Amino acid sequence: MSRARRDPRAEREAKTVVGNSRRRLDLAASASLSRRLRRDPRAELDVIEVFGAPRKRYDRTQTTAFVSRMANRSDAPATKPKAPQVRIVETPAFHVFAILQTPKGRLSRFDRQILGAARMLADAGSGGGAVFALASSTTADLGSAGADRVLDLGDDPNLPASIRAEGVRAAIEELQPRHVLLAEDDDSADLARRLAVSLGESIMTDAVYMSAKQVARRKNGSRAEEFGEPPRIITLGEDRAANYAGAPCEARAIEDGPAVDRDDPAILSVETIPGDPSQLSLSETDFVISAGNGVTDIDVFKNLAEVMTATPGASRVICDAGLMPRSAQVGASGTVLSSDCYLALGIAGAPQHLQGIAGCDHVIAVNTDLHAKMVERSGLAIIQDAQLVMPALKQLIEERRGKA
Amino acid sequence: MKTAVLLSNSRNPVSGRSALARLESQAIGLATHLGGSVIGIHAGERTEATREALGVGLSAVECLETSADADPIPALIDRLKAEEFDLILAGRRGQGGLDTGLVPYLIAKALDRPIIADAVAIAAGSEAGTIRVDQALKKGARRRVTVRLPAIVTVHPLAPAPAVFVYGAARRGNIRSVPANSELADTSVWAERPYRNRPRLMRTTEASTGDTSEKLHVQPEPAEAARLILDYLERNGIRSF
Repeated sequence: MSRARRDPRAEREAKTVVGNSRRRLDLAASASLSRRLRRDPRAELDVIEVFGAPRKRYDRTQTTAFVSRMANRSDAPATKPKAPQVRIVETPAFHVFAILQTPKGRLSRFDRQILGAARMLADAGSGGGAVFALASSTTADLGSAGADRVLDLGDDPNLPASIRAEGVRAAIEELQPRHVLLAEDDDSADLARRLAVSLGESIMTDAVYMSAKQVARRKNGSRAEEFGEPPRIITLGEDRAANYAGAPCEARAIEDGPAVDRDDPAILSVETIPGDPSQLSLSETDFVISAGNGVTDIDVFKNLAEVMTATPGASRVICDAGLMPRSAQVGASGTVLSSDCYLALGIAGAPQHLQGIAGCDHVIAVNTDLHAKMVERSGLAIIQDAQLVMPALKQLIEERRGKA
Repeated sequence: MKTAVLLSNSRNPVSGRSALARLESQAIGLATHLGGSVIGIHAGERTEATREALGVGLSAVECLETSADADPIPALIDRLKAEEFDLILAGRRGQGGLDTGLVPYLIAKALDRPIIADAVAIAAGSEAGTIRVDQALKKGARRRVTVRLPAIVTVHPLAPAPAVFVYGAARRGNIRSVPANSELADTSVWAERPYRNRPRLMRTTEASTGDTSEKLHVQPEPAEAARLILDYLERNGIRSF
């Protein structure tokens, strides 16, 4: 059977819009040979949709659907998005400790991952476990990150590590958690080893894989790995566990934490010296202010970096021009940053540059081009000339400092 | 002051050949900078790495020879109990072995000494018999701890770069071999299998708080732009002016 022969003249005739002096064609009109109307599946589904159901449902019988639709559409209550219910674990079956670092009193990405992993261990199997976050009770977002209880053991940065370990050990002996999770990072890594040795518990350090049934870590220079059931003390590597994404938890503060006010006779004094951002390398600092092709006055830029106590960086163009040293270059062929915040002045955002700032949590873009990639990447975008914004920033900071 | 630097049975992370760990050569640098007598102590089989330690500043290394699969900790504890060292230095992690970083803590417990982790600088304290240790913290911060000796200190990778390797000194140096007790290491805790690379989770940019009208500002006055930037920095706890 051969296909029916097309008749272009008849098709044009069918598409012609009548009533005009000049011939006009409605090209969107269907010109089916069969003269059957084109189906509109969306409209059909819209007719048979059952209203009021919590999730989308269709009435395929098609007899009552139209009536129910008419009846319901008029008085269908405007369904407001319900506030997420707070998850409460009243009598936990067991406890899981998550020891957090909370730099500057905020949850870091790593802290959230530790809480996510602790949540996973607490909910595993029959569940019913409670996550105890060992952090300052003033930390925000502990509940939504997955903490059922908050145990505040004080956040004095100058507390000797041995005394802090004593405090945590007292809490472990009192509450007998099934697992204690820590970050494989600085003080937490130190604390984990102190706890493991003083409690005589087995420890899995720098875990690269963790589920409720198994943890694994590398050994022999990444040639082999050792694995087993999750032990009591686990330190987890960065970016190895997902954040908790479920309903917010309670984060109830525990009032009567164990008090340890013993003094370590061997430690005579402890003082913390903050880092100087102007002396730090780009990979170490927490705040980078970076100049691109939109910045023409480098002296003003360097001065601004000093005023803002930020580490100065630059794009490839600026470094190629010799205006900034090569060590200041940000991007794939320069430094890959891990700072908290990145302020990009006059940088459009080449792919190589965006690779370099992939680890930054907050990006601020000041650029004249609304469609620049950096504007897309940023959390705050100012479409303005960086040369005008720089002196205004400096002036405002000096004004605020003068007041204070 | 008598200092002992613990030398592990470390391997080059790429080639797998026996090599001195960078952290341990940095520890040797810190110890020689502090002055006094410095000795390296290695427990386990004698390897090329033991001799390498002589090339970066040590004049004497003692090798507590045990069998290859023995636990080095009892031998080390026996040795460190036999002679009183003021300061014991170690790398914060091993390299190419188990790399748990537990050995200094186990020794500190056995000898009942304070342990200070992650040192980048060590200097003599103002009082006699004390040292001032700078610990590396995040974002370039340092914590300065004054501790009474004897103590155990582990070394952080941000410590000063190790001394240049001197081949002649490495050949001339003296390695004293001492037979030590060989207790088999307890390997029953974990099972072993070949390593499978597990990629890290991707770092995705979190949805920025607020709607787009808060995020994007087209052609604001420069003063207004400056105010927006400073407010953003303050709201996210980065800087407050």
